[in-house]
Parts: sequence; C-alpha cells; structure tokens
Amino acid sequence: MLVPSSWLRQMVDIEAGDSELAEALTLAGLEVEALEPAYPWLLRAQVARISRVEPLDEDRRMAACTVETVGGEAVVACGAPNVREGMLTAFVPPGTEMPDGKEVKEARVYGINSAGVLASEYELLLEGDAKGIFDISGRYRDAMIGQSISEITGIEDTVLEIGVTPNRPDCLSILGVAREAAAIFDSSARCPESDVNGSHPLEGVSITIKEPALCARYVGASIGGVSVAPSPGWLARRLLASGVRPINNIVDVTNYVLLELGQPLHAFDIDSLRGPAIVVRTAVDGEKIVTLDGKERELSEAMLLICDRDRPVAVAGVMGGIDSEVTEKTRNILIESAWFAPSSIRRTAKALKLPTEASYRFERGVDPTVQKKAALRAVQLVLELAGGTFKGVRDENPVPFTPKRVNFRPDRINRLLGTRLPGSRMAEILAALGFKVEERDGIFATVPPPFRADIKGEEDIVEEVARCHGFTNIPTSSPVATLIVKRPQSFIPFIDRVRKGLKCQGMSEIISYSFVAPSDLQALKLSPEDERTMVVRLLNPLGEDQSVMRTSLVPCMLSTVSRNIRRRNLSQAIFEVGAVFINQGAGVIPREHQMCCAAVMGRRYPESWAWPDRDYDFFDLKGLVENLLKGVDCDSFSLDLPSSAEPFYENGTQLDIRAGEVLVGSMGQIDLGVAKAFDISERVFLMDISLEALAQASSFRKNFVPLDRFPSVERDLSVIFDDFVRAKDVLDFIRKNGSDELVCSYIFDVYKGKQVPAGKKSMGIHFVYRAKDRTLSEQDVERLHAPLQHAILKEFGGLLRS
Amino acid sequence: MEDRLRSIEDKAIKAVRQAKDQETLEEIKVRFLGRKGILTGILKGLGRLPRQERPKVGKLANEVKVRIERAVRQRLKALEKEAGPKVIKGFDPTLPGRTLPRGHLHPITTVLHKVCSIFERLGFSIAEGPEIELDFYNFEALNIPPDHPARDMQDTFYVDDKVLLRTHTSPIQVRTMEVMKPPIRIIAPGKVYRCDSDVTHTPMFHQVEGLMVDREVSFAHLKGILTHFAQEIFYRDTKVRFRPSFFPFTEPSAEIDIQCVMCRGGGCRVCSDTGWLEVLGAGLVHPQVLRNVGIDTERYSGFAFGLGIERIAMLKYGINDIRLFYDNDLRFLNQF
Repeated sequence: MLVPSSWLRQMVDIEAGDSELAEALTLAGLEVEALEPAYPWLLRAQVARISRVEPLDEDRRMAACTVETVGGEAVVACGAPNVREGMLTAFVPPGTEMPDGKEVKEARVYGINSAGVLASEYELLLEGDAKGIFDISGRYRDAMIGQSISEITGIEDTVLEIGVTPNRPDCLSILGVAREAAAIFDSSARCPESDVNGSHPLEGVSITIKEPALCARYVGASIGGVSVAPSPGWLARRLLASGVRPINNIVDVTNYVLLELGQPLHAFDIDSLRGPAIVVRTAVDGEKIVTLDGKERELSEAMLLICDRDRPVAVAGVMGGIDSEVTEKTRNILIESAWFAPSSIRRTAKALKLPTEASYRFERGVDPTVQKKAALRAVQLVLELAGGTFKGVRDENPVPFTPKRVNFRPDRINRLLGTRLPGSRMAEILAALGFKVEERDGIFATVPPPFRADIKGEEDIVEEVARCHGFTNIPTSSPVATLIVKRPQSFIPFIDRVRKGLKCQGMSEIISYSFVAPSDLQALKLSPEDERTMVVRLLNPLGEDQSVMRTSLVPCMLSTVSRNIRRRNLSQAIFEVGAVFINQGAGVIPREHQMCCAAVMGRRYPESWAWPDRDYDFFDLKGLVENLLKGVDCDSFSLDLPSSAEPFYENGTQLDIRAGEVLVGSMGQIDLGVAKAFDISERVFLMDISLEALAQASSFRKNFVPLDRFPSVERDLSVIFDDFVRAKDVLDFIRKNGSDELVCSYIFDVYKGKQVPAGKKSMGIHFVYRAKDRTLSEQDVERLHAPLQHAILKEFGGLLRS
Repeated sequence: MEDRLRSIEDKAIKAVRQAKDQETLEEIKVRFLGRKGILTGILKGLGRLPRQERPKVGKLANEVKVRIERAVRQRLKALEKEAGPKVIKGFDPTLPGRTLPRGHLHPITTVLHKVCSIFERLGFSIAEGPEIELDFYNFEALNIPPDHPARDMQDTFYVDDKVLLRTHTSPIQVRTMEVMKPPIRIIAPGKVYRCDSDVTHTPMFHQVEGLMVDREVSFAHLKGILTHFAQEIFYRDTKVRFRPSFFPFTEPSAEIDIQCVMCRGGGCRVCSDTGWLEVLGAGLVHPQVLRNVGIDTERYSGFAFGLGIERIAMLKYGINDIRLFYDNDLRFLNQF
C-alpha cells in the first residue's frame, strides 16, 4: 500500500514528521518498508533557460533549442509553439521516468542529438495545459536555473510504502491507515463527507441480486450528462503516487475513492447496459466476456458476474467488461459499490489469473458498511470534476451486516503477555481502535468496528492490546520450564556422524536442489522396475530442469562434479546427505529416504612437493567408504561383488556395501556413457548409501579388547597366482583355515610385470601369530604356518616366489 | 713476567674480537688456552719462578685466563647471533607441511548446527518431519484454510491438490503436538520450498522452527528466549527489536529485527538504511492450532518461532548472493 503523506494528513492531524510517523506505524504492526518521494519526475525536471532557437525544418514546427542548465548547455529538439529565446522552462534530463511511464532518452531528432525534453505542465501533471512547454518566466519570478520544478512550484510529497499483512484489509486505504495513526498518536481520523442526497431514488436502472450469499450488498448510483476528460493535476498526481495510472476523470474518481476508503468501485456507461438493468448472478459454463484489458475470458459456473439484461458486463469484484467501459463519448454513468464474498472473488481472480486492486481488497474483506458512503463520495467527486446531474442511488442489501461480540479477560491477557496492565487501560486501547467496550463483573465485552473482520476471539484482543501497548514495553524474561525427560526420536545425530566421517577424510559437503530434470534421472539408465523411476512430479515447477523430485542423489552429484570441472576445479572429493522421494500415488506423501552420496575425481593429493602426483582411483574411494563405515561403528560391514548391477557403474567396477546381510549401498566407477550425459569425460568414482539402513546396522557401543601380553611372530609369504585369483577369496580362506594363534593377515604387495609370467600376479601376504597365554617359539609358529602355507598354494594353485 | 702476561691478554682479546667465524675463534682459543697454548705454557712454567713471585704471577695468570675465556664466550655468542639459527645441511624445515585436504561442511550445515545447539542448551530437542507434506499439515492445521489470502504469503509448489512441498518447517509443530503432550520444547530444522527464484530467493532453502508449550508461557518469555538467541548467534550486545506482524498460526505475531550486523545500526545497503535486519518470525501459538491437536488452551500456552538459515549465514559470513549456497562451487564451499 502506497500512502502519500499529504493525503494521510488530510484525514488525520499528526504533528510527527514522516520518519517518526513511519517508525510508529512500523512498531504498531504497519511495517513502513520505505519512504520515497511522491513525484520523482518533479525533482529531476529543472529550470533551464533557452538561449538559442534554431528551426530544424522548413515549416518551423521543430526547433533545436540550446538550453542553459545547471550542468552546462544542452541541445534539445522541441516542437512547442511557445518556444522563445530567453524563456525559462522545464528541462527533463534523460533517465527520468515521466508520469506516463515512459523514460526520457537521448534521441536522434531531425539530425540532431536531443539530450532530454522540454516539458509542458500537462506532461508534468501540473495544473496547466498541454498547449506549450512550461513557461516559467511568466509565473515564477524568482526561479533560477537548476532549481527543481518541485522546488519552484512547492509541489512535493512523501510516499509511505506500507506492507499490509493479509489480516488487515482495513489498512488497504488511506482512511484505514489514518485510523491506525489516530489510535497511535491519540488523534482522530476524519472521513470525507459527501453532501449528495442519499435518499434520492435511482432512476432508470433496475438492480437484482440473484446470489445474496456471494453479494451481500449492491449500491448503484447514477449521474447523467457527465463530460469525460483528463483529471486535474492534483488528482492525477495522487493516483500516480499511490501506484495507479490516471485514465480519465470518471475512472480516476472510482480509483481515488477505492484508495481513500478502501471500497472498490466500478463505473458503467449506462447507455451500453441493456435494460438498462444490473443482474448479479453466477456464470453459465462457457460464457465469455472481454475484460477491460482487451482479453476474452472464458467463465465457469462458480464465478460471480455483473450482467445487464442479456449478458455479462463485469466479472464481479475483479474487472469490468470492455463493452460497458466509460469512454470519452460516455454521457451517463452508473457507479457500482458492492460487497462480495471474499473466497468467491479469490477463486475467480485466481482462476482467471487476474489479480486487481479490487480483487485484492474484496478477497481480504472490505468494510461491509461503507458501500453507500463510498458511492456518494464518488458521485460528489464526479459532479465536481465532470459535471452532470445526480440521478439517484439504490442500496440493495439482502444480507445486512451484524456486528460481532468478543469478550476478554484482562488477567488472561496479562498472563499471556507477561504484563500487568489494568483492564481499564486495555479498554482505552480498544476504544481508540474503534471498539465498543463494556465491563461487567470483570468480563469485558467488546464490539469490534465493522471494518475489523479479523477480530474473532480473545486472542485477537490480546494482539490488539499487545501491539498498541507496544512490544517494546512488554517485559523480557526467562520462562520457568518443566524438565522434559522423554525426547522425540531424531535421525539427525546419526546423519551428523556420517557428515563428520566424510569431512574428516578431506571431503567437502554440497547441498543441491531436491528437484532435478527428468532427463538427469533418465541418464542413470535405471530399469523400468527400479523404484527410483517412480518420481514425484511438480504441478508448477519453475522449469522443466527442476520439475521432478529426485529419487537418487547420483544425478545431483554428477551435475555438481560437471559444473566444478567447467569451473576448473579439477580435484574433487564431495558428498551430499539428503532426502530422495519415491512416489506412492496421488494424495499421499511419498516415501522419503535419507541418502548419502559421495564422489571423487581428479588429483588425489594437493599439488605440492610433498605428495605424489596421481589421480583418485577405485581404492581411494574404497578406503574412504571403509573408514566411513568404521567411523559410524558399523562392525559387520563388507564390500562385496554385487548381487545385482547398478546400471550407472562401469561394468565390473561395482561393489555392494553390506551391513551384515543387509544391502546398504554401492560404490564403483561411473559408467563413461553416463558420465558423458553429464558432460564429464573424466573418471569419477562414486558411493551411494542409504542412511536408514546403515543406521540400523550401526551402534554407539564399543567393546574393549584387552591388550596383548605376549610378543608376536611374523611371517611373509610371496606367491604367484593366476591373475583371476581374488584377494578376498585368499584372505577369507586364510581366516577360515588359520589357527587361533593367527591374529592378523594382510596383503602387503601385489605385483605384475618383470619376473612374473603373463596372466599371473605375485601377491605378498603378511601373517602375525600370537598366543594369548605364552610366548610362541619359532618351532610353534613353523608348526602352525607350514600347513597353512601348503593349503593356500594347493587351494589357489599358487607357486612360491623365490 | 707480569708485563708479558698483560701483553698476552691484549693480543688474545684483540684476536678474539677480530675472529670472523667460529672456527677461527676455536683456533685462537686453542692457541692461547689449549693444552699446548701460550698461557698454559706460562702456567706450567710457574715452578721455575722464584718462590715469592709464584702466587702473584699465578693469580694474575688465572685472572688473564678467565678474562680470555669470557671474551671467547662473548664472541661466540655474537658470532652465533650473526650466523642465525642452526642449519642442518640438506634439511629445509621451511618447506610447506604435508597437509591433507581438511574437508568442509556446507556453511548451511554449520549454521544449522550453531542454531540448533543454542536451543539444545536450553532444553529443546530436535524434531523432524517430511519435506513433501500434506496440505493439511502445511496449511489447514496451522489455521490457513483453503482460499485464505495468507496462502499468498508463500508461493507453493504443488504435487497434487492434497500434497505439496512444505513451504515452512511449521508443519513439524503440528506433527509433534499430535504425538507429544505438553510440556513440549522442540527445534525443527529442515529444507523448505517456495516457487521463487532471484538474487535474494532460491526455490529451496532451510528453516529452523521452534516450539515451546507449557503452563504459563508468555510473550515476555518469547522475548527472553529470542533475545538470548540473537545475542548468541550474532554479538553479545546485539540490539533486538520486536515488532507486530501477522502469521495465521500465531497471535500475537511478531517479526524480530536485529541491529544491522554490517553497519551496527548506522544504516547501509544491507539493511536498506533502516539500521535493522529482519531475522525471525514468531508469536504465541494461536489457540486454534492448539485446539486442532487437542491441547487445552486454558491450561497451556506456547510460543513458536521460525528463521531462515540462509539469511543468518549470509549475515554471518557476508555472503551477498543466496544462489551461491546451491551452486556448490568448490571455491565457495572450501572457504568454510
């Protein structure tokens, strides 16, 4: 809501300056978001002297005027008849937005560069005419070059830009803001009165309300013989400062009263109404109307219409029809001032995608008692500005307004606010806001004013008291709270352990949007049976590339890798934790899974003298995964060959991540084709884990193992195996067949190349033997190790390497 | 003999003072004080002197020896100072350390942790809820019926007419109160969605919702808790301003401004010259919301609040474009 300060002050006396007023309104709940000059063009337009006039064409219609401005000389093309050398006029520099919405630009006119314009009073929305440029010398003796037009004319104002919350439609008018200001500053608001005779019956037009549930009141007032013309400067300026573009005196009056009293009005050209009649009814499906903006609208059954005898002439509370529009030729008008049901107007405006100043107010609720007053106020202004004769008014009010009653208990209010205000003080606050208040036996009964539809219960009274007393004046204290022993279950601590487990290994966390492009999910080549193809699609996405909810973090990860490659971030170790969504059908919420996805690519180590220069490989990622799983105390994990292949890994590089028997995720190298779909040509290694499954398998429990008391004996074994022999099989065999004294075995070396025949590999295995109760002798170990060594060679067809 | 000793002392001290390096100094020391040194020779020859001269010369010789030794020590210190710290050949301790990448949490995660931990210290517990919600929990249970203009305050992504992407973390309030009886103190972090995208809005962002329901909870308590929070997360002396606002699920409703962290209230671009920054929305829980979950509004009251994590993170770190959070450029992420 844009509120010109001078207009507000016309309706309420306040001594405070604009910024003090703004602060006070803000602290009472009407947030003043900005204070802006009301007529910026009058501040930019400046007094300039025409020093030379040179004709630009033979007819001497257009001239190149050299003007002295405060910033030096400028040459401006001008076609005004009253241009003369030595004249003081209004020069508007380029970059200025004029009242008609057009920006002044430097332009090439008749072969010269015209650096601005010389403006008429009419163009500047001043009171003069459009016949020539503003002749300042004749009117303002003391005007000096460089002074703004605002300064010499004294026409200036400030606009308060107020963010009105949806519960306060009454403040969508100057009167409403004036009432609030009056309550704050202990003043009173003046409502402009009309001296038009409200009992003069309407002549010549019938009014019928067929839907009283949707239209509780319809006031029609008629004026004959008006002269449609542009509005005077003061009116046009006020409208513009309030964000409404002036059109003609009749339409401008309806908008002026809308802003002043908050009651949307509409003016019909009576001569275009068939009947002439007004019928308020709902639309027939498929019925059509061309609205004032020139667009044909198809109407549906639930929409409320204003019709004449035969056809719709307006979409009620939203926009008028073009056929009954007031034009320059209009002589006789009907002013409509009605009350429509908020939700009906809201649905219609939404369905037609046509939010207007009128619908905005109707859907929030206008004062149900102001319709006739607003109509008569408009009549008065029309008579003043456009002449004509008043032809009477008709007030159809099938559902009269009944005031509400709301009780409150002062002690309850004090308990809720933490204050100690006497009931009488609360009553005062409410009285200043227009409430009627009566006290009986400690219970206060109030009748809120008709414009306060938001006041429904005691809690609303609490708020009125709190904001008018001032939030600042309410004490600040600490609650006395009950200790809560039973706490809600939360998954977040586990997710944080995972985050830290990856961060500690040098990875960076990313957060990507939960919505992705369908093509990104398709790029994973998932089979149609895969539940990750059951996507949730948004009805109103911002774009196709954000139109479905992700069913996997993998596309987010690959998009991020790709984006970072394009930004030359060529060493990446990143992870994300977040939800994925599996569709469960219409009307129910999807299944959400918390997942963790990580990817590595590019250089393994920082570029430094201290580190080897090599890229991430499969085993770097495998190590990260193993560390992560140990870090969350998942003791039973294993990384095994996959039971079923994820289609987005390079064939043969995938491992399943299991906790016990449960599959919790997978890891591998991203398939080159899939990577290409994300514009990646580098090798990317990726892990994808379900956090719910992992959490199930993890514990916070640790069991202490006593420290060793006896020394160990160690053995190394180098064997040449066939290439296809798998490390895991060998290690599993050793674990299964080794004696109790074999406490540890690991692979310390894998070698292919010189001295190893083709198709073979050399594997170095380290064994650690230790007994719990004694020191093992060499002979003891030999007795344990020799048969195991033999068994290994036999089982896997290995040869001892000499 | 005494003259000879004096001249030896003069020569020795002169030589010591002129010594250019530690090796030369060592040579000088050996030449005068060593086992075969000049002074040692004299001391050894004491026996040949007449008996009555011996003590006097001996004493003098010792004094000379002490003075030369002191001069050598002083010179050695000076030379060491000149030469600087000790260097081992072939070992350069000034080479950069062998650091591994540190790893980084997303700044949003870090700020979420900070916010939650402030409230956890006050006895609030973490609660969660689904990101794709029913209209019922996101709107209706929060006193926002269909066709209510308050729905315009939040541009909603819909999945169908009953299901939507939650526009705030407030539905967690309702879900918690459905299963917990008062007293309740929860803090609920999470992602929220609104169809809005520009320099100051991303279609997905993070909120933290807080709720406290107990006997005798008042607006004064809300002020106390949130003032404490603002001063913990920003500065100890941050000024906090409560001003009336509107949310359908709280009444009275408040917006909470802090003194601008950039200009400290003087007025700047970040606070649009107001000196204040809006950081929280809050209010007493609307009795209708409590009634919806069967809580007796005469026995219990509560307050709720919500804040946007991106906004806090932008203010804390001086980030000027909200879209950077979801661009995931490593040059950005690795700063945190």
